[in-house]
Amino acid sequence: MFNVERNGFESRKLKYDDNKCVGCGICADVCPTSSLRLGPIVPIARGLIEMDLISINSNSCVLCGLCSVACPFDALSLNIDGTDIKEMDNYPLWDVKSEVCEDDCVYCGRCFKACPREAIVFERKLPERESLVRGEIKIDDEKCIYCGFCADLCPPGAIDLSNTPNSSADFLNNSIEVDTSKCVFCGVCKRICPQDAIYEICSTCMLQDQIDVPEITGNTFIVESSCVNCSWCSEICPVDAIDIVKPFSGDLKLVETEEQVCKGDSCHACQDVCPCNAVEIVDGKAATNLSFCNLCGACITACPQNIRELTRTSMKLTNINSESWEECLNKLLNE
Amino acid sequence: MAVKIDSDACGHIDNCPVQGLCIKLCEQGAIIEENGDVCIVPENCDDCDLCIQNCPNQAISKA
Repeated sequence: MFNVERNGFESRKLKYDDNKCVGCGICADVCPTSSLRLGPIVPIARGLIEMDLISINSNSCVLCGLCSVACPFDALSLNIDGTDIKEMDNYPLWDVKSEVCEDDCVYCGRCFKACPREAIVFERKLPERESLVRGEIKIDDEKCIYCGFCADLCPPGAIDLSNTPNSSADFLNNSIEVDTSKCVFCGVCKRICPQDAIYEICSTCMLQDQIDVPEITGNTFIVESSCVNCSWCSEICPVDAIDIVKPFSGDLKLVETEEQVCKGDSCHACQDVCPCNAVEIVDGKAATNLSFCNLCGACITACPQNIRELTRTSMKLTNINSESWEECLNKLLNE
Repeated sequence: MAVKIDSDACGHIDNCPVQGLCIKLCEQGAIIEENGDVCIVPENCDDCDLCIQNCPNQAISKA
């Protein structure tokens, strides 16, 4: 977390938020005064060093704001007289997207589990189980010998049984009860009961037309400030309810030479720094699933063998109005 | 092939900014602590170069 601030004709303040930074080094790549430096991202990712992923030379920084518009993750912001330049009409802006369509979402929660950044807020309300079944169940205390077969086998764990003697004075500490909010009238208890003590009838199938299945309600949304546009959520969504627009398109390849080869499990630096959880070591080599990669390039600098080749063909940075800025920002592209 | 450590540049754990970062980074057991100093076990080295790249004193190079 750092701030660089100067006041003169204007008040300019550059703010860095380490929580949003992924350590890709894009800011350092575009900085026209080479004032930004990427830190030791592999030891930081492994928790061996606690420090910011980037550092700045505040003496050479000219507070131009190029780094802040280039950062696809909003980790840097430049304020001029209190206003973020990303909110100003004449400054570039990332046209990326991470949105859940509430109308299409079925609240399965799979995106929430898959998100590598914990960027998805998810909650849902399911109906009570008892509202979906119909039936009757009774246990005859007179016939029951409290063997516990039924309680041990009951699939939803609806039978509460006590058959442990308290003391010699109270050795018949027996009780059995069915929690009807859990019982689904499956009949397993009735079938296993050696004493024929359970009366159970299921009318769910017979009455199915009369059972209203309530609509599942919930909330799923992506916290944009934590999202890195990796697409895990949209790839995993079974109903195509999530729309992700990534910052870059292009390719990432492992290009091994005779001297330089991927050391896989010995190294796994790429896997450790990847903010997208897109890298896996398969058969001793790093395999990147491009569906989940946002082409940020963190793995490129992390690789000690220098065999990861990133090609960015286009980017979603729009509204670049200055030729000199365009020149700096185009350094992020290969073609 | 393994790696070698430039003894003059090395922080020797005590003066290393991360108290032996190479030891902590190497999961192959090719760089270990012995008598309070950094020691290389060449037969364990897989030449991944992670230590070379990350040494804060740039004291490690190819042997």
